[in-house]
Amino acid sequence: MAEAVISKEEIMAVFPTVQKTMADALGCDVDDIQLDVSLIEGLDAESIDFLDMVFRLERAFKIKVPRGKIIEDVRGDMPVTEFEENGILTEKGLARLREYLSEIDASRFKTPMRVDHIARLYTPETFCKLVIRAQRESQAAG
Amino acid sequence: MTFKSGLAGKVAIVTGGSRGIGRSIVETLAGEGVNVTFFYKGNEAAAAEVVAAVMAAGGQATAMQVDVSDAAACAAAVGSIGNRCERIDILINNAGIVRDNLMAAMEDDEISSVLNTNVFGVFNVARPVIPYMMSQRAGRIVNLSSVAGIKAGRGQANYAASKGAVDALTRAMAVELAPRKILVNAVAPGVIETEMSQQVRDLAADEVKGNILLKRYGAAQDIANAVVFLVSDMAGYITGQILYVDGGFKMG
Repeated sequence: MAEAVISKEEIMAVFPTVQKTMADALGCDVDDIQLDVSLIEGLDAESIDFLDMVFRLERAFKIKVPRGKIIEDVRGDMPVTEFEENGILTEKGLARLREYLSEIDASRFKTPMRVDHIARLYTPETFCKLVIRAQRESQAAG
Repeated sequence: MTFKSGLAGKVAIVTGGSRGIGRSIVETLAGEGVNVTFFYKGNEAAAAEVVAAVMAAGGQATAMQVDVSDAAACAAAVGSIGNRCERIDILINNAGIVRDNLMAAMEDDEISSVLNTNVFGVFNVARPVIPYMMSQRAGRIVNLSSVAGIKAGRGQANYAASKGAVDALTRAMAVELAPRKILVNAVAPGVIETEMSQQVRDLAADEVKGNILLKRYGAAQDIANAVVFLVSDMAGYITGQILYVDGGFKMG
């Protein structure tokens, strides 16, 4: 079943909290956290920073975000062997990624795309959508 | 210069805090004004005794029954402490067991239970604690190792392996967590007068004492003193170290 679209209004509703949370995690100014800035390439975020960001978001929004959630959701019901080969996304896998990370400019999806380089695409808007999806899942589970 | 621990008001978790070295660590931290929650596996009466002793001395202590080899139970316990105290400043991974036997005669359970408690227990508690310390950009972790990690006696292969692993884990944690100002060290006790070492001391008293430069067994308080030093303001430039508190063991 196709995912319900996430509206701009929904994103802007959570962005202020996401913005402050990310600024605290990265130790930067709130104004540095713009919706479309690349967290790794623009703000020098490291893996330990992502861990801290997700932990803080979980507490701020009272959600649970399992490790690897974004990539797991990108792949969805596609078998792993169709999604990637030797750590490189297949054409089908890349198409799924572009569809899921619709907030990312098309020019940033380079080929070949390594699975372990996907995180370089992430922006604060990616995490706003992560929060909204987690909230929807929590509501659906009752 | 007077010793200033800077520990008043901090929040600590101590695993294996109901007896021996763990109890001494709990009482010493609480005496410095730390709000201590300690885990115990099964001895509820001993745990209650520790809480009563701490409260009688004007300190704060909470006992929680948690098996450190159970990852889910550890995560739940740490989560409840985090929700109650809103921060975690200090973690002392003290819980440990011995199941001595000659290696060729060891049962599977004697190997796995020691590794599950002594090594996996550190992972299971530290993993959910670390995010709190990362967010705080401050934290102190002390893992309890042992001289056995480098100078094992006969019949201790499983215990020695577990403490060697704790030493390596301590150094790896120090490297990984330094960017967030989390200091990780280990204290390696020698032969300490507790229940855990009773059998060794009974069987080989003269031989063991003969190997100690200071010619006495250590007291649980000797270890607690070292642990409290490492989590205090006085140890702010120490990380990734193994501090041997052993009276000069097997040095002669």
